[in-house]
Amino acid sequence: MRAEPTNRISEKGLRVWYIYGILQSLIVLLVGIGVGTINYFTGEYVWLYIVTGAVVLIAGYLLTYLFPKVRWMRWRYEVREQEIELQHGLFIVKRTLVPMVRVQHVDTEQGPILRKYNLSSITISTAATSHTIPALITEEADELRGRISVLARVAEDDV
Amino acid sequence: MSKEKYKLHPISALINFIKVLKDMIVPLVFVVAVNGFGSGGDSEGWSSYITYIIYGVILLFLLVSGIIKWKRFRYWFEEEELRIEYGLFVKKKRYIPFERIQSLNYTEGILHRPFGLVKVKVETAGGGQTKEADAELTAITKDAAEQIKKEMLQAKNKLPVDSDETIQVEEIVERQTKPVFHISQKELFILASTSGGIGVFFSGLAVFISQFSEIIPYETIYDEFQVFIKFGVLLIALAVFLVLLVAWIVSVVITFINYYDFTIRVEDNEIIITRGLLEKKKITIPLSRIQGIRIAENPLRQLTGYATVIVDSAGGSLSEKDEKIRLLPLIKKKEINKILLQIFPEFQLDPNYINVPKRSRKFFYRLDFVWMIPVACVVIYFFYPYGLLSLLLFPISFGIGVWQHKTMGYYIDQQHLIVQYRIISKTTVWLEKRRIQSMTERTTYFQKRVGVSSIITTIKSGIGGAVTTVSHLDKEDAEILLSWYEPARTKNTQIEKEQLPNFETINLN
Repeated sequence: MRAEPTNRISEKGLRVWYIYGILQSLIVLLVGIGVGTINYFTGEYVWLYIVTGAVVLIAGYLLTYLFPKVRWMRWRYEVREQEIELQHGLFIVKRTLVPMVRVQHVDTEQGPILRKYNLSSITISTAATSHTIPALITEEADELRGRISVLARVAEDDV
Repeated sequence: MSKEKYKLHPISALINFIKVLKDMIVPLVFVVAVNGFGSGGDSEGWSSYITYIIYGVILLFLLVSGIIKWKRFRYWFEEEELRIEYGLFVKKKRYIPFERIQSLNYTEGILHRPFGLVKVKVETAGGGQTKEADAELTAITKDAAEQIKKEMLQAKNKLPVDSDETIQVEEIVERQTKPVFHISQKELFILASTSGGIGVFFSGLAVFISQFSEIIPYETIYDEFQVFIKFGVLLIALAVFLVLLVAWIVSVVITFINYYDFTIRVEDNEIIITRGLLEKKKITIPLSRIQGIRIAENPLRQLTGYATVIVDSAGGSLSEKDEKIRLLPLIKKKEINKILLQIFPEFQLDPNYINVPKRSRKFFYRLDFVWMIPVACVVIYFFYPYGLLSLLLFPISFGIGVWQHKTMGYYIDQQHLIVQYRIISKTTVWLEKRRIQSMTERTTYFQKRVGVSSIITTIKSGIGGAVTTVSHLDKEDAEILLSWYEPARTKNTQIEKEQLPNFETINLN
């Protein structure tokens, strides 16, 4: 068995994902209310209320708690001298290797919610693919961006 | 270096005009059709002419704009750059450093030929804004085209502009190496006739089957209805067959014209493809831009031992999103090795593949069942007796899955990964490790339970990426592949690679 990459993303990232989850489940809730309203004015099937309620509750639980949690537990990364290794995924676990030689540029990015928590995401682009580490402390992300770009420049190759 | 500014050949005004017209043909036909049929009959006097006047004005405008575009277009060479000045209303200038030019592609259209002209497409290395960086010289004389190439070579090699040196450069340009591959008449014919696709075959089958409706006891049904149905089915089948036959003939002719005289040459580390009967095309691909080679065999051609060889090339123009270039449109599989080894000395075909384990077979068809079960249920429910036929999907999908599982295989040596897989056609992909941009191991929950995972590799193709997947291989093998790709562990082999003979030495003879 290959060892998992060593680093986790910031714990504050988990909190941000909870917030995203709450926003998503609010949308589900709105849809649920819509279905309920239509039901109230047209059919009034009792079972439809129950099903809708159950779906909203389960979706809420999954979106606001379980999915972010599992996703966060799974997310790992490691930046080594010659390559970057990432592991992530909810149902499907993906482990990606990106050699330093292939790295073309590195970006950091910060949305409004991430900014509030002093977090940044970092995106590593090769000629054909791009890979994002979602939530790192901003200073850490900046430092990492600098390190990757130095390592990528050192690892000169023939393409 | 001369700073004289050159113009395009006047014929490019006409070509510009035709090109715009060609782009507008669909909306134009639509507008004409709507107007023509809509207000055709009852409109009186001048109002029916007004549409024609509008068309005339549009055509005139396009023609004039074509002429102005030609008038305004200038190109010249300065400070090792190809500089272009153009624009209809807004004057634009574009400077392309010769170093950045990846390739010059030539096309000779029908209008070019009588005047000995070519269209030159300048391609630069792909960045984000590739479209901006490319340039097209609509029509210039062949001498002028040679001159561009000469200037480019001079700038690239930093040659002084001595007269001696210029002659030498000219020699390089003029030299024509022996073709690596030239399509034979027989191959061209087979290519053309099998390209039309499988539709014709099926529609032919439909006509055939409709003849057998005699056997089906229609007599017991209403007599008149029967005649109608029989006649109707035959008529429709015949019509469909005819349409497809025409489509097929057209596609045969088009393929024949496009691939006529298909020749590959290798010069100065570039692959040069020339082809075409009416419009002669010349495409150059620098060897350094080739990212991977794939060999596709569709079942029909696999039976007859033929295959197609496609190369993925990096960069290129935005118009072709992923640059999959047909290097050998049709070739006997046995001969692939012989030809490709001349271009890629490290190429290898059909090694001993490592197959994927038996326990992963179910993954090749199980996912299809997930969507097929509800579909079959619905179909059976609504079309009861005949809907049962949808159950046939299951054995078919199972069979294809088993076939795919059997074909799936991969092979690695120090620098290369070869993957063989099947969707319906069998595809073999030959990849160099240094061209793989990233590698991902993908494990689903169900795969994890039986210790299986998939490996996904991405190479650059055009301005995007092309993905090759080794599906459902043993988890341990997947990890071997990951460590094979991991640079830290292969440092030594990379040094070894640099000591390999350079391509040029092989190409000299």
